[in-house]
Amino acid sequence: MKYVQYLNSLIKEQLGSQSDIVIYGQNIDAGSSLSGLTRGLSVKKGLIINTQNSENLLVGAGFGLMLNNVSSVFFMKQMDFLLLGIDHLVNTYNIIRQSNPKASFTIFPVTVDSGFEGPQSSLNNFDDFCSIAGVDGYSFTNKNDAKVIISNHLVKPGFRILSTGQRLLRESTLELNILHQEASGKYFQYKKGSDATIVCFNQALQYGLELSNLMQEKSISSSLFSINFHLQASYQFIFEDINFTKRLIIIDDSKSKNRLSDKFLSEVLGICKLRRYKMVTRQIQVDDYFPRKDDLEIEYNDIISDIFKS
Amino acid sequence: MNDKKLKIIKKIIWLRLAQVIVNNRYKKGDFDVPIHLAMGHESIAVAIDSVMRETDCLFLTHRNIHYNLARIETLKEELDEYYLRFTGLSKGSLGSMNLSNPDKNIIYSSSILGNNLAVGSGFALGNKVKNPNGVVFIVTGDGAIEEGAFYESLLFLKSNKLPSIIIIENNEWSLGTKIEERRSNIDLKKLASSLEIEYSFLEKNDPFEYANQIELLRSNAVLNRSPVLIEVKLTTFGFWYLKNQDFPDGKFINYHAGPAPELKVDEYPVIKSSNEDPLYVLTKYHPWESLKEIAIDLQEQLLTEIS
Repeated sequence: MKYVQYLNSLIKEQLGSQSDIVIYGQNIDAGSSLSGLTRGLSVKKGLIINTQNSENLLVGAGFGLMLNNVSSVFFMKQMDFLLLGIDHLVNTYNIIRQSNPKASFTIFPVTVDSGFEGPQSSLNNFDDFCSIAGVDGYSFTNKNDAKVIISNHLVKPGFRILSTGQRLLRESTLELNILHQEASGKYFQYKKGSDATIVCFNQALQYGLELSNLMQEKSISSSLFSINFHLQASYQFIFEDINFTKRLIIIDDSKSKNRLSDKFLSEVLGICKLRRYKMVTRQIQVDDYFPRKDDLEIEYNDIISDIFKS
Repeated sequence: MNDKKLKIIKKIIWLRLAQVIVNNRYKKGDFDVPIHLAMGHESIAVAIDSVMRETDCLFLTHRNIHYNLARIETLKEELDEYYLRFTGLSKGSLGSMNLSNPDKNIIYSSSILGNNLAVGSGFALGNKVKNPNGVVFIVTGDGAIEEGAFYESLLFLKSNKLPSIIIIENNEWSLGTKIEERRSNIDLKKLASSLEIEYSFLEKNDPFEYANQIELLRSNAVLNRSPVLIEVKLTTFGFWYLKNQDFPDGKFINYHAGPAPELKVDEYPVIKSSNEDPLYVLTKYHPWESLKEIAIDLQEQLLTEIS
């Protein structure tokens, strides 16, 4: 099953039983229904609206619904469209959060990371959206983290942003067993090893998995974590793993200059005793803003050599 | 004169007196929060207050003192909010520009131009789900209609058939610039017409005419499940003169925010003897001396309340 079909089934399951809820967004119930993400949605009682193209209004309207104690989910084709709603993410939410609302408001944009879209549609900086106003944000990359996050956060009191990568939507659903998870889905552990710890940020889990598998072929065992929550959290469990392996590889595919992974590393360096660490991030070049393949290019063997250099 | 009319007259005078008190304290440096006074806006605020039903809600801008006071009818809680005291209307958590009062159906006030239009539109959509009899009143100004949010909201309210009233308080000024200094004219009647939205223009500050007209427009909004656009021509009193090399004799700048240092009023606190001033307009309905007596009584009540 393609990941988009799987997510669609999870979303339908969560929304189908909801009452007094508004599901809205551009093309959510027309045409391709956001490439199938929102196809066939229904609610027990409420509204499903194909909206006009007015992102600023639509973000503010979600907060207005919240003030009226009506829950809503705003699906958005591309995360960069959310730039037009930043005023509400910051200014309106600063007022709403004071009232501890009972209604739910979720914005669900797709992170544009498939490449070839051109300079104006290459923004994948989920961390920035969450950081600018202290907004809770969760991303997911596979079958099991998506199930945890969508079932826990799609509709619940308060406001948050949920997102996944456009690149993954077209792929087959990745199935990974969860060894450990933070209770609300802020991070997940998929592998336990003794030689190195790999921690993935933004939509980078697939790269971490590739690195971990390559290490395994070389008889190196690694722990593999994915950070799904885009604000700082308590990472004590991960720090314990890093203190055990003493070798850390951080992979972050975000184009942000305000990366959560930098804050994570800063904490690690203050707490953990490391033999070696490696940070894999994008070195932003001018051609990153051309319509090009958007994957993070990683020399996995170089990383392994470097991290185990005596 | 019937009781309802007298109540409206008293409320307009009370609103002016209350703002004069705020201004006097502001001039003394009492407040840290920026306050946007609305002397000259009393008629529209009182008219809307008189038309609103229990199911109706109000979305305001940074200049919200007139509506907040008209709805709550006491000054002390508002003053305490400006002092950021726990006894304030919002326990000192909102200050002036974002002051709302859900108990009096003032749901939200925004200091960002056009922001409350989107939030009010969403609230109106919520009414469609759970409170179909409610009308959403969204107040904005001639500056905020320059924002894209204005057009987006009109389109959204119309497209989703949401009974709502958008009030544009047009004082012709945004910060220190007049309309002709910053943009070309916007024909709101034509803009509304292009979206098949009813438009009405109010001027001359007659609170009874305003209330009658808004009552009718509210009925139309409910009947047609549609927004209605009301443009209100008004003056915000409290000007000052900018003096510099370009304007050695001083350039007139209309009041925007802060204390109005030159503003002085008599016992009957009229500021301008023309229909630009809602208090002057009241002399059509009540003798000057009688209005003055009402003002003296209300002033005493206000001072007792806040002492």
